[in-house]
Amino acid sequence: MYLVEYLLLAAALFSIGVYGVLARKNGVLVLMSIELMLNAVNINLIAFGAFRGNAIGQVFALFVIAVAAAEVGVGMAIVLLIFRNRASVNLDEVDLMRG
Amino acid sequence: MNAFDHWALSGAVFIPILGAVLLAFVPKRLEVEIKAVALLTTVVTAGVGVYLLAHFDYDKTHQLQYAVDRSWIDVISSRYHIGLDGISLPMLALSMFISVLCIVYSWDHFPEPHNPKAFLILLLVLETGMNGTFVAQDLILFFVFFELVLLPMYFMIGVWGGPNRQYASIKFFLVTLFGSALMILSFLALYFKVTLPDGSHTFDIVKLASVHGAGIAHGAQLLIFGGLFIGFAIKVPMFPFHTWLPDAHTEAPTVGSVILAAILLKLGTYGFIRIAIPILPEAAKSWAPWIGVLAVIGIIYGALGCLAQRDMKRLIAFSSIAHMGFVMLGISTLTTYGINAAIFGMVAHGLITGMLFFLAGSIQERFHTRELDRLGGLLLQAPRMGWILGFCAMASLGLPGLAGFWGEFPAILSTYSPAVGLNLALFRTFMVIASIGTVLAAGYLLWMLQRVAFGTVKAEFEHEHIHDMHGPEYLAWTPILVLIVLLGVVPGIVFRVTDKPVQKVTVAHVEQRRSVVTGQTAVGQP
Amino acid sequence: MHALLAVASSFTGPRLDYHALAPEIILTATLVLVLLADLVLEERNQWLISNLAGIGVLASVIPIITLAVQNHAARSMAGGAYVVDDFSLVLKALFLGIGYVVLLMSTNYVEEGDYYQGEYYFLLLASLLGMVVMASARDLITIFVALETLSIPAYMLAGWRKRDLKSNEAAIKYYLLGVLASAVMLYGMSLVFGYTGSTVLTEIGKQVNGSITHKPVITLGIFFIVIGFAFKVSAVPFHFWAPDTYEGSPTPVTAFLSVASKTAGFVALLELIYVGFLGRNDVWGPMFWVLAALTMTVGNLIALRQTNVVRLLAYSSIAQAGYVLVPFAVAGDNIAARRSSFTAAVVYLMIYAAMNLGAFSVVIAVARKTRSGDISSYGGLFEYAPGLTVAMTVFLFALAGIPPAGGWFAKLMVFRAVLDSGTTWAVVLGVIAGVNSVIALYYYAAVAREMWMSPVPDGDVTPVRVPAPLLASLGLTGLVVMAIGVYPQLFAHFGDLGTLVR
Repeated sequence: MYLVEYLLLAAALFSIGVYGVLARKNGVLVLMSIELMLNAVNINLIAFGAFRGNAIGQVFALFVIAVAAAEVGVGMAIVLLIFRNRASVNLDEVDLMRG
Repeated sequence: MNAFDHWALSGAVFIPILGAVLLAFVPKRLEVEIKAVALLTTVVTAGVGVYLLAHFDYDKTHQLQYAVDRSWIDVISSRYHIGLDGISLPMLALSMFISVLCIVYSWDHFPEPHNPKAFLILLLVLETGMNGTFVAQDLILFFVFFELVLLPMYFMIGVWGGPNRQYASIKFFLVTLFGSALMILSFLALYFKVTLPDGSHTFDIVKLASVHGAGIAHGAQLLIFGGLFIGFAIKVPMFPFHTWLPDAHTEAPTVGSVILAAILLKLGTYGFIRIAIPILPEAAKSWAPWIGVLAVIGIIYGALGCLAQRDMKRLIAFSSIAHMGFVMLGISTLTTYGINAAIFGMVAHGLITGMLFFLAGSIQERFHTRELDRLGGLLLQAPRMGWILGFCAMASLGLPGLAGFWGEFPAILSTYSPAVGLNLALFRTFMVIASIGTVLAAGYLLWMLQRVAFGTVKAEFEHEHIHDMHGPEYLAWTPILVLIVLLGVVPGIVFRVTDKPVQKVTVAHVEQRRSVVTGQTAVGQP
Repeated sequence: MHALLAVASSFTGPRLDYHALAPEIILTATLVLVLLADLVLEERNQWLISNLAGIGVLASVIPIITLAVQNHAARSMAGGAYVVDDFSLVLKALFLGIGYVVLLMSTNYVEEGDYYQGEYYFLLLASLLGMVVMASARDLITIFVALETLSIPAYMLAGWRKRDLKSNEAAIKYYLLGVLASAVMLYGMSLVFGYTGSTVLTEIGKQVNGSITHKPVITLGIFFIVIGFAFKVSAVPFHFWAPDTYEGSPTPVTAFLSVASKTAGFVALLELIYVGFLGRNDVWGPMFWVLAALTMTVGNLIALRQTNVVRLLAYSSIAQAGYVLVPFAVAGDNIAARRSSFTAAVVYLMIYAAMNLGAFSVVIAVARKTRSGDISSYGGLFEYAPGLTVAMTVFLFALAGIPPAGGWFAKLMVFRAVLDSGTTWAVVLGVIAGVNSVIALYYYAAVAREMWMSPVPDGDVTPVRVPAPLLASLGLTGLVVMAIGVYPQLFAHFGDLGTLVR
């Protein structure tokens, strides 16, 4: 397979992720969209790493995976907090402050 | 130069702010102590001023004396460079003098909401800013002091002012800040565009002035001068940048008005003489006709404005615009003669208009109104104040023998022969218009005098007891009145100091006629 | 297996310069101690934790001083991925200083709140650790890890008042946009890595300035990275999370986010631009120009119509970020502009930290009495709290850039950078900045006017009791702001760092 195919896959995933973050109302689905974006990055990194023939890409990808886990953990906690206080995870309703 | 000489000028600038810091630690309820500390501070400052005056070398007024030049902000090669020459000297003396009198005057009538502590702290900070501006010889230092004046004045108007104070104070602040923004941009442009003979860049006013803007393209010079022009013209204020002044003056407490009229307005004209004209002489020449046009418009507009006022303070504010028009007219000729007249005009206007604002304040305090329609018969109820008002009106309209004359008359004369390269016909037209201005000035001042002092007391105040002058007023006003007469009789004491440094300012313009303004006899003979 | 062992025996661990790493090590130790103390201490002894955290932060300043005194050449670790040089020392000291002031601001706020103290300080220190690491990061991976270390605890800090709906909202908005920004930035990093084959900035710098300069993918990579950080520094049009997050978060956290986290974003940008992408100012120059112009203008215009003081400060801090972006926009024009832009950005960040933290300290102090953030609740403050009023006035006019309060010097440095560049675009940006500083004055003066000239809204003139730690933070920031204003040289040379500027 060519490098470009991986890159296109990553770009497609990334775009789907961006769309999901912007368009989805459900907090959990937004978190999943973010995961999509981060995994697009991982595909890029590993593909480039293989293309370059060095391990840096994989190392970077491992870091991204580890940090993403922490990040999504915190994200779930915050969404849970909102669910507890409001009994809903609809992010459009979280809009007390304006101006 | 002995050690004290070295510190004296810095002392003159920073003693007031040290006093302000000290005041901050005096508890609010000890009002007498607070006033005493403040008064003492200004008196000590004025004492330093007297020392400076006494040890000033009057034969070398064109040189910077008591100069201090130390490193300050190396990153931008700006230095703590202060010094006193013949142009700064009268302004510095005026500033110190008026500050003392303001504290004396306000001794037992602080405007609402009282709070002498805060009021006096602001006054002292203001004095540091004013004194500093007049001695700064570095553009950045000048800028810092110039801006330092803004905040205290803003609060003075905004907190202790009249009913419309919030609007007036913010207008004053925003308009002047707009000017300062342009000014600092011009300063930076000067820094980058002017290259000294040794290839370096500097903010030093003396060094910048010594190269006369060499190496800057004419277009750039015009733009930079334009920035400086707007910055200073707002402060003067020149027509059409004057709109903040009537509001600020009307709403400010008495002392604020006095300082505003006597000193703050001079920061602008001083900036022209100290910075704009000597550093960019070529651009100054291109701009001079425009300055002249705006100056005479200011003279006529101010005078006509006066005739339309119903409020005494507002009237005096408009008369300020007219008087500052004469000062700017003198400056616009770019001659030694004209600029000497302008500096004299600054001092005279400071004393006379300051005095008029004191009077307006005292009248308001007694009658609780400044409306010309409701006032009348001051001579009957408070004859001394009435006569002083008459005296000041005479001084203000330029009666020979009083200080006002020597600012106005030579300024008008100087337009007869402006610097070489300026349009003679145009400036002579200015002369004619400015002369009409003096007639109008006589008109509105006498009209004001007549409405306030003459006639009978209006019914509403008929049975009210109007106290004539009291202690602090005697103390605060006598020195001003004495000076108005003194400068009117021997104007040479100012001209002698200013002449040499002014020659330095105009040195770039080849003059038609060497200055003859060295003594009183010489003035007035074109 | 044998082969593996053979490799292992020849493996020597990376040499660690413990002196250079001491600030991070002390901070990490403090962080662990705080966590343990929270576990061990009883409820009534919890106040100890704040002191412990404060001492830890101050202790980590000590190695920075010893390192600075040594005047050593840059200490480079992990193949240039982690560098301790003058720039990083100054910024580490700045971050720790900010951290300490925020601790002072938090002490009473946290003690009197209804939530757990231990985790608050733990999260604050963790975030601080990320910033300190960021100051040394010279590698894409290190920058990424530092950014997440400082951001993830910050998301939780924003939501610290967990039963408060506004705090929830602050956290979720900050979190979502923060993570989105990280993802965008990472995508850009992956592209940059792909075309240079390295994550070390100096190596990337060599390649970007060299042959492959005009590969569009590098352009795209830089574009994404800058956009990612534009979110972090809340540059318009990526700012919309900031006001809500700032308003909803606990006020000391707001101060921390608006100062420290923003500074960290700018530090990363400085490293990336000056070390990595210097050759491609055709990409980032115009981007920063647009960002700076929009950020200043929009921030100021929206700030004009705010009625809540925290929200006003939020928009003001957006606008202030715009001024910091100005030097970035002109940095690529010539060598003089490159140097003075760098100095301007660093000096601006330092002064901004002092004045903004000061303003927030006053907000916290006043809210102790009024329990409100409305600007109208500041009416007549001068009557019953003259000290706080004067302090707030100093900070506001410092932010507005009026001498002699510190901010004027920061703005002057920005204008200097603009004129050093001297191009028409630069000058236009300078004029936009100038006009904006006049607009900004209006809303700063509006708060001052409320404090000095309006009557007390409810007639309650009991004085405000300011606890000692808050007083200390007010004093510290006030002193710094005034010292910079009167004698800028004291701090200016910290910005005169040649290490990143070539």
